[in-house]
Amino acid sequence: MNNIPTKTRTALAFTDIKDGFSKWNIWILLSWQDIRMRYRRSTLGPFWITLSMAITIYTMGLLYGHLFKMELAHYYPYLAASMLGWSLISSLLTDGSGIFIENEHFLKQIKLPYITFILRATARNFIIFFHNIFVIIPIIIFFHVSVNLFTLLFLVGLLVIWINAITFGTILAILGTRFRDITQLINSLIQVVFFLTPVMWSPAILPEKYQYLVKLNPFAQFLELLRNPLLGTPPSAYAFAVTLAITLVGIAGSFFIFARYRARITYWI
Amino acid sequence: MASVTLDSVTVDFPIYNVNSRSLKKQFIRLTTGGALNNDESHKCVVVKALDNVSFHLEHGDRVGLIGHNGAGKSTLLRVLAQIYEPTAGRIHFDGKVSPLLDVMLGINQESSGYENIILRGLLLGLTRDEIMQKTAEIAAFTELGDYLSMPVRTYSSGMQLRLAFGVATSISPEILLLDEVVGTGDAAFMVKAEKRFNELIEQSSVVVLASHSNDVIKRICNKAILLEAGKVKYFGTIEKVFAHY
Repeated sequence: MNNIPTKTRTALAFTDIKDGFSKWNIWILLSWQDIRMRYRRSTLGPFWITLSMAITIYTMGLLYGHLFKMELAHYYPYLAASMLGWSLISSLLTDGSGIFIENEHFLKQIKLPYITFILRATARNFIIFFHNIFVIIPIIIFFHVSVNLFTLLFLVGLLVIWINAITFGTILAILGTRFRDITQLINSLIQVVFFLTPVMWSPAILPEKYQYLVKLNPFAQFLELLRNPLLGTPPSAYAFAVTLAITLVGIAGSFFIFARYRARITYWI
Repeated sequence: MASVTLDSVTVDFPIYNVNSRSLKKQFIRLTTGGALNNDESHKCVVVKALDNVSFHLEHGDRVGLIGHNGAGKSTLLRVLAQIYEPTAGRIHFDGKVSPLLDVMLGINQESSGYENIILRGLLLGLTRDEIMQKTAEIAAFTELGDYLSMPVRTYSSGMQLRLAFGVATSISPEILLLDEVVGTGDAAFMVKAEKRFNELIEQSSVVVLASHSNDVIKRICNKAILLEAGKVKYFGTIEKVFAHY
């Protein structure tokens, strides 16, 4: 029995990732199913997502525009673009830690690559984002927001966020399976991050000596990658540099953690 | 000609209590050097679910797993399904493994019967083309007719089982893993289901079946593994194993 080949952890992790991506028809189908389950039997279907986002943005814009004494023609597009980006980032983070737990019945009955479930949750949140994005269209038309070549950069921003959603989603999902209080921890942190990140407020109203609060906030940089193109301006080189660095660290870190703990996931569930 | 080889496979299960499941409590323990929260409850108990299991299965083997509750039958099936990777030891497969541990797996209440056939087919490792070819045959077997276009939540439980069973048994497995054979619907359908089930087993090169029913095992299997506390107590032909059981 000595002819049994053994594969290293790294090779097994790599196979899992490769197989997971190639099973795209499974994770895309499952993520659509998630959307349908959430809005089952309602007339508007998934467009409930769009409607609730529209109500949030249109009412918040009116209130906070006056509170911050900003011109509505500038504040409305800014808020809409920020909220779209923030709702994507925050839902990816809150979903992350529960990914393997919510797929327990699959993980315990059938062998599928672990990455399939990360991709399922990520795809689900991106589908919701593409429903939400319709909210900004009337704002762009009404307030004459410029649509130009820079607008296309928002696809680059989405790609960067997608990659980070997979890498950091994997880390969160593994941690969340082992330590069950991670989900609560993230839910409470996300509230704090929401107020610290320029979502409702613009960095421009922050005094010069406090600008570092925005510069040091990684979420602000990811948000800028989506928001600026939607407003027809390019993101800063600084935002690109920071997000690129985080992406590279995330890829390396998540691969290391995944390779190390992959086989333990089903034991922890 | 599929085969399975297990070489001294061991599976250790960590049993966590509430404290070792909490990052906050682990953090307090680490930062205070164990001065706080030092009630020994962070220590984690390890259960040996499988202990040094070795055997070799070849083409034509229909193996029944027998043993008491907690003897390790389900764990062994999950190791064979590559769900649990052994903590020690090695496994080698020649051929594709098809686990049918839960017939209802992946059945979604809001999707139609046809949509469920596609999803379940993909989960079983079929391609979309293969599923399309099999759909008519599955539909005929389930006798659900126009119901297949309706959401599964409108089905009775018997109808849901028929659908799930129909898709799950549409594959041509090399190494088939089964956890308890399910009963399906009314008497007339039972006969049909049993026929289809027997065909599935005949097609498979290797079958491993866990069951509490000795009758089922005697009917289907030609070999048996007797498990006791995670160890292989006896492995051999069905008559010899039952003589020890």
